[in-house]
Formats: sequence, C-alpha cells, structure tokens
Amino acid sequence: MPDSTFVLGYATPLEAFAGERIQFHLSSDQVTSARAQVVRVRCGDPDPAGPGIQLVDVEALAPRDVALKHQPIQAGSCAVVPVGTALDGLAAFTLGAWIWPTTPGASRQTLMARWSAASGRGWELALDEEGCLEFIVCDGVRRASVRQAEPLRQREWRFVGASFEAASGRIAVFQRGLSSGQGVDSGDAFSSEVASQGPQGLLPSVDAAVPIRLAALPTDDTGRRTRQHFSGKIDSPFLLRGVHQAQALRALQGGEAWPLSGEAGEACVAVWDFADGIGGDGFADRGPLGLHGHLVNTPTRAVTGPHWSGRRHHWSQAPEEYGAIHFHDDDIDDCGWDATLSVDLPDDLPSGFYSLRLTAAGTGTLPGQQPRESHVGFFVSARPGRPTARIAFLAPTATFLAYSNSAMRLDLAGSEAMQEQLLVIGPDELYLQEHRELGTSTYDTHSDGSGVCHVSGARPILNMRPYGGGYYSMETRVLDWLDHTGLAYDVITDEMLHRHGLSLLQGYTCVVTGAHPEYHSAAMLDALEAFQQRGGRHLYLGGNGFYWRVGLRADKVSRLEIRRGMSGTRTWEGEPGENGLASTDEPSGLWRSSGRAPQRLVGVGFAAQVFDRGAGYRRLPDSFDPRAAFIFDGIGADEPIGWFGLRGGAAGHEVDRVEQRLGSPAHLLRVATADDLGSGALATPEEIAFGNRGVGGDLNAQVRADMVFFETAGGGAVFATGSIAWAMALSHAGYDNNVCRITGNVLRRFADPAPFDLPGSAPAAAGV
Amino acid sequence: MLTTDHQLPAHVRIDPARTDLALEFRRKRRGEYSLELQRLLYLMRWSGVGGRFVAFTLEPGRRWMLAELPGRRGVPLVLHRDQVFERLQEAEWRVFCIRWKALTGSSIDDLQGD
Repeated sequence: MPDSTFVLGYATPLEAFAGERIQFHLSSDQVTSARAQVVRVRCGDPDPAGPGIQLVDVEALAPRDVALKHQPIQAGSCAVVPVGTALDGLAAFTLGAWIWPTTPGASRQTLMARWSAASGRGWELALDEEGCLEFIVCDGVRRASVRQAEPLRQREWRFVGASFEAASGRIAVFQRGLSSGQGVDSGDAFSSEVASQGPQGLLPSVDAAVPIRLAALPTDDTGRRTRQHFSGKIDSPFLLRGVHQAQALRALQGGEAWPLSGEAGEACVAVWDFADGIGGDGFADRGPLGLHGHLVNTPTRAVTGPHWSGRRHHWSQAPEEYGAIHFHDDDIDDCGWDATLSVDLPDDLPSGFYSLRLTAAGTGTLPGQQPRESHVGFFVSARPGRPTARIAFLAPTATFLAYSNSAMRLDLAGSEAMQEQLLVIGPDELYLQEHRELGTSTYDTHSDGSGVCHVSGARPILNMRPYGGGYYSMETRVLDWLDHTGLAYDVITDEMLHRHGLSLLQGYTCVVTGAHPEYHSAAMLDALEAFQQRGGRHLYLGGNGFYWRVGLRADKVSRLEIRRGMSGTRTWEGEPGENGLASTDEPSGLWRSSGRAPQRLVGVGFAAQVFDRGAGYRRLPDSFDPRAAFIFDGIGADEPIGWFGLRGGAAGHEVDRVEQRLGSPAHLLRVATADDLGSGALATPEEIAFGNRGVGGDLNAQVRADMVFFETAGGGAVFATGSIAWAMALSHAGYDNNVCRITGNVLRRFADPAPFDLPGSAPAAAGV
Repeated sequence: MLTTDHQLPAHVRIDPARTDLALEFRRKRRGEYSLELQRLLYLMRWSGVGGRFVAFTLEPGRRWMLAELPGRRGVPLVLHRDQVFERLQEAEWRVFCIRWKALTGSSIDDLQGD
C-alpha cells in the first residue's frame, strides 16, 4: 500500500465545473515538497479481484512541484464574542450560564473566559480536572480564585456562575439545579455558593482585541489556537454588572423572554441568545450593548435547553426551548489551511472523478508501505443545461461526505459482529486513529458519545480518493464499467443537483445512480422525481439508496447535516426533540419517516444488511412480460444471475425490496429476486415492529433483493437491482457475465430516446 | 439515546470440549455455519473477549498483519509484526484461537482434524 498520508489536503471547491479554479490546501510534516499531477479517476479500488487502480493523467495540466509546510488542524468548537472597549472599567461583575456537561472530570474544560494567553490576564470560569466549578481572575501578577468541592454530574442541567468585585476582592462561584423534570424550576432546587477572598484592587484588564470566548480557552492571542474545550451544552450565557446571588437571577434561570425583569434586567451587560440564527454561525446579544457573536467549528444547534417541555419536538415550533448549543472538543468545520496550489480547470475538461496525485521520494514507515503517493479527491460536474452525452452518472457526493473519515470500524465495538468477519483496515485508518482532529463521519460519535451531525468538505477526507476504500472505491467500479461500455456519459454531483435541481438533469435521457446513493436533500429527491415524470430514465444500480434526509447549508458549500432520530439502521441515536435540521428547518431521519420511502422513487427500498455472503438472483414470471424483454436479451429462461462478485453474489451488503404499501408503483414488474440470502441477512430495524426470531433471511421473506422495472410519465422508466453488491459484479470474468449483460441491455435502451409506454395510457411522446 | 452493552451475558459458558465447533470454523466458508457456531462467533466478536483484533493490509488482497485496537481514541493500534498472513482465513483462525483461550482457558493452537 502506498504511504498515502505523508501529505494531506482538501480542495475548494470540492465540486466544480470545467473552467473554474480549484485551490488545493496541503499540509505535510514529513516532506517540504512534492510532485503534483491532476488525474482522472477511472477506478480507485486497488482490489486485485477487480479492475485495479486506473488513473489517467490530465495532460492539459502539467505536473508541477509544490512547496509544502505543516499546517495544524484546530479541532474543537467554541463561541467568540468580540467586545472591544465595551467592558473597560467593569470592576464588579457576575457571569454564568446553564450548562449540561457530558464529560466533567475528563479534563479541564473552560466554560466562559476573557483571557489573554500572552499576558496571563483576564478571567475564566471552568470545570477543573475533577469536574468542579472554578473561577479565576488574574491581572498578570496577582490572582484570585475560588472552587466548589463537588464535581458536576454528566448530562444534568445546572445553572452555574461566578461573581467578582475588585474593590473588596470577593470572588465566588455558584450553581443551582432544576428541581423537577421537564424544565420546571419550582424555586427550591439544589443551590450552593462558595466565596473566597482575593487581593483587593485586582483588575483583570485585557486588550480590546481579546474577545469573550465560550467553551474554550485561547492558547495564544492569534485567535486561531484554542484548548480546554468544553463538551456539553451551554444555554443563555450572561454577563451582569455588579455582584448578584444566584437566587436573585430568576429571570435568567427561568428562561424568561427578553427584556429581563428584576435584578437581572437592571444589571444586564450582555445576555446571549443561542436560539437566534440557529441555521448559521451567528448568535445575538439581547443586552443593551449588542455584543453579538459567532461560532467556530460548527457545534450542534437546534438542541434542547434546560426548559424543554417536550410539548414540541422540532426547534422552530418552540425556539425558546432550543436555546442551547452542544459544543464538542472534536468538532471541525473548516481547517482554514492556506492554499498551496491553484489550478484552473480547462474549459473542455470532461466531467468526472478527479484527484490531485502527490508523490515524493522515500517510503512510509509502516510495514508494507511502498512509495509515497497521496491523493486529494475532487469532482468536476457537467454544467446545467450543457450535457455532452445522453447519459449522466450522479456521483453520490452527499453520501461520501456522510461517510467521510469514518472511524466506525475503529470505535464501534459491534462492527466485527455486524460484518461477521475480521475487519480489514488500511494505513489511512491507522492514521485516522491517531489523528482525530481530521474530524470523523456522521456514523461516528464525538468523544462525549453524542452523534456527529455535521460534516464538511473543507478538511482532508481519507476515504474519498483512490486507495481510500469505502463507498468511493465502489462507485469507481461503476465508472469503470461505464467506461467499458464505450457509451459517452457525463458526471454530475449531488451538491450540484441540490443547488440546480431539475435543470441539471434536463437534457439527459438517462441518469445512472450508483452502488450506494444513501443521503439526499428534499431538493435532490424533488429533482429526480421530476426528471422521471418528464420522460427521464433512471438506472439505480445500488442498495440502501434514498434512505436518509439531510440538509445542505445554503451559505457554505460542501456542508452536510444529518440527525439520526429514533429509527433506521444507525450507529447512534439522536436525543429526544433533536431530530430537526438546523440548516434547513426540516425534519431529518429516514425519508421513510417523512412519508417518502425509497420505493416511491425507485420501486425498491432498504430491506436488510448481509455481510457474511452474497447470493444470485432467479428470474420471476414478470421477467417474461414483453415490457421487460429488452432487459433479459441474451439471458436464459432458467439462468441464475450473478452468483459471483463480492462474497460470491451480486445481491449482498445491503439490499432493497418492493413494497407497494411504501410506494412501489402498482404497475411495477418484479423481474427477479435474490431471496436465498440466509440467516445472516438481517432485516433493518424499521421493518420489525416487535422482537421475534424472524429477522433473518432464512425465516423472513422480506429479506431479499428485488430487481424491478417500471415506466413513468412522458416516456420515462426506472430500473433497479436492489443491491449494493451489484456494482462489484460488473467486471467479473473480464466483463463477460450476465450482470454486466443485463445492466448493459438496460443502459443502451434507457439511452435510446424512443419512449416507453406507461401501461394503461396512450403511447407517450418522445423526449425529456 | 442508544444504550449498547458489549458484555458477555452473565450465564454464558463455552464448553472447551466442543472443539468440533472450532474445526467447523476452520473448515467452512463464511455464511455456512451451524447455529451453534454462529452463536459462538457472535459472542466472541460482540464482547471482544481476548482482544479487538483487525487485519491490517500490507498488500491489497494478498498480505495482512494482525493489529489490535487500543480501545481509546488517539492511541496507536498495536501492530503484531510477527503475525503476517497471506490468507485472511488464517488470520481469522489465529484470532479465533486467541478468543477461545480467553473464553475457555484451553488452547486449541495445535488442534488436529480437518
């Protein structure tokens, strides 16, 4: 295996059109230069049982040497509030917030601070190494501090704060709890305050450029390096003039709407509203000075606060109950690396999967590592309205992002039991294990156990490039097959589809979706549905497709959000009330749970996982219907289909089935099925109402892969194979096999503009 | 909030005399196991008794080295440099033997039979 981590990088934008400029942001702590060459990826899977790695140099872009430097990654989210001179002269103050710590005692974690690392001046409210509340004030020479002896408990809301008075030197911390469930504070909650005496006249004055920061402490005064990241939720942080007791701050504790009443209202300097601007990175100060702030590294918003009543489960229906932000010490959004190299893509560059290949002398240090070769994957999409072929392959870039840097096999203890084999990992996963600052996938959890909801393309993604494994490798097997057919095709991408909708698909006769197009926004599904209903042909070669509902940010590219809710095959479960997307104000979770099961779009939907074996298909009576004759041209009446490929069968990994009650069209032809998947093929949880022994393919007839065909309005049609493993069988025996034959039959007919006739209707007019 | 426990159920006992299950594992391809062997493999893999092992690819499709997951993020995997295999099935067998010993106290490293 090559040393694929001696240099790492990411491309901005990740998905581009020909003629645009792409910047590559690179970092290496092992070499000071590398040779860079843009290549087109025909196949990125090194498995010797397949076509093997096939990369084609883009001759129009000459290779060049690039100078490299090490660029660190600052992981961990926080909030920043620039204050300038607004707080100058504040010699007595009280501050605090509601907090819900998730890992108290794991490390020292800053809650709120205004601290100059260079001068050692300022103040900090923190949970110390034992999870105890501590407040420190320092002027660079003299120091006052106070600490409560009892550690906070994890996943419990506490109203915490501190006060300081320079004249007297009095310093105190306090905390109060909720006395009952569902957010009601009856007034007799747990409450304690500890006070201490520090030096008199100590003023923690700092430079105007030093901001207030929540959930982290600055490492230096550049603003780019932080430490002591807090993991957990913070709600309604505040800053008041003067010294106040916790009991007097009822307006703040009770989640009162602004303007605040009583003592809190009179003394208010700043009260930050995290329910403001939930869809973005900004938040407002409701206080008199308007000290608004912004977030770093996309902590999770649209999360329940201390007063969540449970009467509403979506944040925009009760925003006042969703004024919390869940910070994580391993959040990452944009690495912020300097651009190392700019490449102007030629105007006539064909659409496709591309990579910046980086090579250098020397070898890696791990056993088995060969010459240094790393890749930075990116995609070139055809432009809307300017197709160069009848066929388009829709690259599932949303799914790639969802799986980006998956550490599932490293962290999820049940992975080996699920996959029913010794897990096989490569050098990239070894690297990821030690470098979690890269940010992991939406299949992973943060260090505090909460699910990863946000992923970004502005960071090195190890499994979205040649040699990187994962579903990227599988999809390049489809590209390889498309190249083999000799038919012209364009490549379009998920994010382009999201942004341009139907206009990106119009002009194509046939759209091919790959082995595993699992994640979709509403806009993407709308576009595919509209394409089908206007005479478009959709060839769906995969399984577990069109499964999860995601949001893409409108203000930033290559940012995906998912909430996994309470249903589906999933590796983590969202907290109650937190299934709403912050980015788009829509519910997340399964498309099935939104009334839009995959069967509605492609006739089949997720039925089961099977990792211990594969199976072939048998023809069903519908396969002899004249409407399906073109599919089985050259296939014998009793010929078993696809008993080869991944684990011995074209049906496997994840499989889909017909279900009319979930939307499979009534006129659909179920032409073949693979229903001999065995006891190791297990139904997905949403298919099982209550526990019973019939979860496996040996007892459960719903555990199967269905091959289907149906016509759509306007002369269109859909063909699906219901299996992820189908794509891995295409190249078997030098492409001389019945999986390849069937798929080729369908592709050629789907690329032919002659219309299909929707059964029961008048013959359709041609064209999309 | 999913609450997933990777303990062995309290009353699980593996009979060390059932070496027939070990032989079955060594002999058969995946997906064709008896229910008893399926149960044993599930318990071994789910609980990770004896160690959470993976096969680290030295050469795709051709050579692998046993490695062990440390159970903590940020800590390197332990590479077992003396455990290199040219067939994944042999790596699987090695790990099976380690886990059998951890579960039963008995060694099957020298188990004879097809």
